[in-house]
Amino acid sequence: MNSRPPLSTASFRERALAGARYAADIIPPDTVLAEIVRSPHTHARVKRIDSRATLAVPGVLAVLTAEDFEGIRLGHLCADEPILSSVARYFGDGIAAVAAKDRQSLMRGIEALRIDYELLPHAITIDDALASPVAIHDFCADNIAEKFQAVRGDWQAINSRVALWVENTFETAAIPHAYLEPRACLVRVDGKRLELVCGSHAPSMMADFYRPIVAGWGSQLEVVTPAIGGSFGAKWEHPSQLVCLLFAQRLQRDVAMVLSRRDDMIAGRTRAAMRIRMRIGATAEGELVAKETTLWCDNGAYSLHGPAVMKAAAIRGDNLYRFSAIKADAQLVYTNNMPSECFRGFGITQSTFALEQLIDELARRLKLDPAKLRLSNTVREGDTAVHGWKIGSCGIADCLDGISNRIDRHRRDNALPRSERYRTGYGLAAFIHCIGNRGYDKRFDRAFVTLRTLPEGGIRISSGEVELGCGTVEVLIKTVARELATNRDQLEVVLGDTATGPHGMGSYASRTSFFVAMAALDACRRFKRAAEQMRVEFGMTKPAEIGELVARARQQQRLGDLEVTGDYQPSGVVVPDETGYGNISAAYTFGAHGCCVQVDTYTGKVTVTQYWAAHDAGTIVNLNETQGQVIGGVIQGLGFALTECASVAESGQLLNPGYLDDRVPTFPDAPPVEVLFTDTYEKKGPAGAKTIGEPPIIPVPACIANAIRDAVGVRVYQLPMTSERLWRAINDDDARSGPKGN
Amino acid sequence: MSTGKYLRVNGTEYQIPGQWLGRRLLDYLRHELRLVSVKEGCGEGDCGACTVFVDAEPMCACLLLCGVVAGRNIITVEGLPQDFRQRFAQLCEKHGGLQCGYCTPGFTMMSAWLSGGGTETGKDPLDKLLAGNICRCSVYQQLKKVVAELT
Repeated sequence: MNSRPPLSTASFRERALAGARYAADIIPPDTVLAEIVRSPHTHARVKRIDSRATLAVPGVLAVLTAEDFEGIRLGHLCADEPILSSVARYFGDGIAAVAAKDRQSLMRGIEALRIDYELLPHAITIDDALASPVAIHDFCADNIAEKFQAVRGDWQAINSRVALWVENTFETAAIPHAYLEPRACLVRVDGKRLELVCGSHAPSMMADFYRPIVAGWGSQLEVVTPAIGGSFGAKWEHPSQLVCLLFAQRLQRDVAMVLSRRDDMIAGRTRAAMRIRMRIGATAEGELVAKETTLWCDNGAYSLHGPAVMKAAAIRGDNLYRFSAIKADAQLVYTNNMPSECFRGFGITQSTFALEQLIDELARRLKLDPAKLRLSNTVREGDTAVHGWKIGSCGIADCLDGISNRIDRHRRDNALPRSERYRTGYGLAAFIHCIGNRGYDKRFDRAFVTLRTLPEGGIRISSGEVELGCGTVEVLIKTVARELATNRDQLEVVLGDTATGPHGMGSYASRTSFFVAMAALDACRRFKRAAEQMRVEFGMTKPAEIGELVARARQQQRLGDLEVTGDYQPSGVVVPDETGYGNISAAYTFGAHGCCVQVDTYTGKVTVTQYWAAHDAGTIVNLNETQGQVIGGVIQGLGFALTECASVAESGQLLNPGYLDDRVPTFPDAPPVEVLFTDTYEKKGPAGAKTIGEPPIIPVPACIANAIRDAVGVRVYQLPMTSERLWRAINDDDARSGPKGN
Repeated sequence: MSTGKYLRVNGTEYQIPGQWLGRRLLDYLRHELRLVSVKEGCGEGDCGACTVFVDAEPMCACLLLCGVVAGRNIITVEGLPQDFRQRFAQLCEKHGGLQCGYCTPGFTMMSAWLSGGGTETGKDPLDKLLAGNICRCSVYQQLKKVVAELT
């Protein structure tokens, strides 16, 4: 098995030719299959598991239960998720696992498994969980997983300056990530060596996490990354992987698991639902002065990245404006819902729904243009923002101008008669975001790129960051081809292979292109230095072609000297303090969105007819892929804004575990999106570039909400803003008053 | 074991083993024939990732049992003309017509169907004809340009 060459990462072209191989495509037909048996109850103690009948089914090889994973918990920030649990804490929690030689035996084995439960009272809303006498975890009596507070500025002084407060309470929904490739993994076993083939966006971190566990079983672990069919923040560690690892280790056979769409939606994680009470205060002239946020974040049954998502939601968006005073008070609450996880935007997508609607409402109250109000209050290059972010290149003014112009022109050119039934409105919203997060991992925020000259010719570029469809492979090839003046077809890219490549933090936090390009630049510098040394040593007189040099090196068996690893760590960044103060990122990205909506007042249906997205992503290196990220993010945001929701019954059962009932946007839902980029150069970035991954989704729900307000004079304070909710808002006179002020 | 039932897949005729008659075409293509371009996204006919041609009409392989389509002509991406696949890939590059790539095989089949005239083309707008294929990276706008340039 060790002779297997590393899996090269599928390029755009290979994906376009349907040649990319995802985890499920790599599983050989005769592989042992495993499946997790999930709780049909929302909160229940497992009294007894009888696996005798299961083990008697021909073809069934083994059964695992909680006992087999004693003491092992998942969770980078708070290790609280058992691999298989003796207490079901949400509908679909994994209780047991079965492995069998084929699918039929597996199904029969699962059917034969007897699990007796003792039902416990459950809490699926934040309020119920806070009021519940029943603790979801023994170690947490009040169901509050974590609290966070931040206070900045002189709150005595601001009272005299604030002429107007606007305030409201907003709710955002839990939604599944709904990536198209359900979770799948394959574990290959070779004696004590286990190899986990699985599409994770952070394979090195996964290996870091699993290695001590696997070492406890007397085995070693490597992780291999095939093509990844979408993650959007979800594909971190998951119990399915450890279940396959332990089966493989015990059975000494390769084991695979592919989740069904239903299981993936029931147990695959969601965006954290939040309730956000927020108020902002301004002077009569429209200077933003203060912001106060009280936030409750539904953690679900287990923590994963809940603590960090809650903190980000509570304060990060504040850095966009020059607030003098900030208060934030947030609680992360355990409920009997599916565990929440990061999801494109990392909590800021949720809180921006609140903040950008209040800013819009403030502009209405003060009779100011919403773009101008923002323009006069946003941070600028050279600022240290309210939470310590040091603002470098900043194109927010151009973004706001661009969107404002587009809206004005569209309004002028499309002056439609207002019909009684259909109303048209325009909305605008803005955001700030970071590139990586020094605070995520106490050790470092860092990336490596290794260049290795191959005996058979060409250069292999390796990194621990992965390709999620955002263009990592292209960024690496472009950078190395340019720097080493070599042909693209001489370059092979291997991402997320822990056995042969360097460590990587992972492709999250909109960090990948920036970090890998910087590390690749460093690797190229080192490569050129090594090549130059070798040239002198070989007595080659003129600056040699790389190919010539490599041929000589190969001849003299000196290829190893042409293996280099480049490294990038942003300078000037710090781990923020416990109140979230500190400069977490080398540079920051900005943007403003605008849209035109048509509301059918008879049904409450919202149709977004035109969308504009202006982004400061630094100097654009790959126009197509950057634009693609923007358009994709906007459409994903459209789903979050209008249709998507994990519908949970009072029993705690997820009612819509599939695409039919969890309405993600499809072709007819997608309005035309016009993308604008500012002409910004980020001097800390690779070739002036910043990044784009998460930002495009962040302002979408608020942008649409502001357009709805413009069209029909009401707001829906709860996501998704479904037809029914909007119809109710339109037909309820109380709702017309809008957010309450003083 | 011969059942007398066969399938023609990408031009080759296969006897369908008896145990496969009541099982999904999707699994037969992926596991028996190793045509792994045919992807499973939902298994419920919602996402279109497993779209194949059955006698030149696009259908979800996850909703068909082998026995039901016995005797029919099945085409997967692997069976499309090479020049079409290359052209589709080029246009995807030009317009940014994919990201993670998992939905791409399904869209390739739909594009091939539409560029071949697609039996209902003209009756419905493109949006509606492609509504059965989900792209969670949501590159619909870009895919529309790809399809428009192909047809």
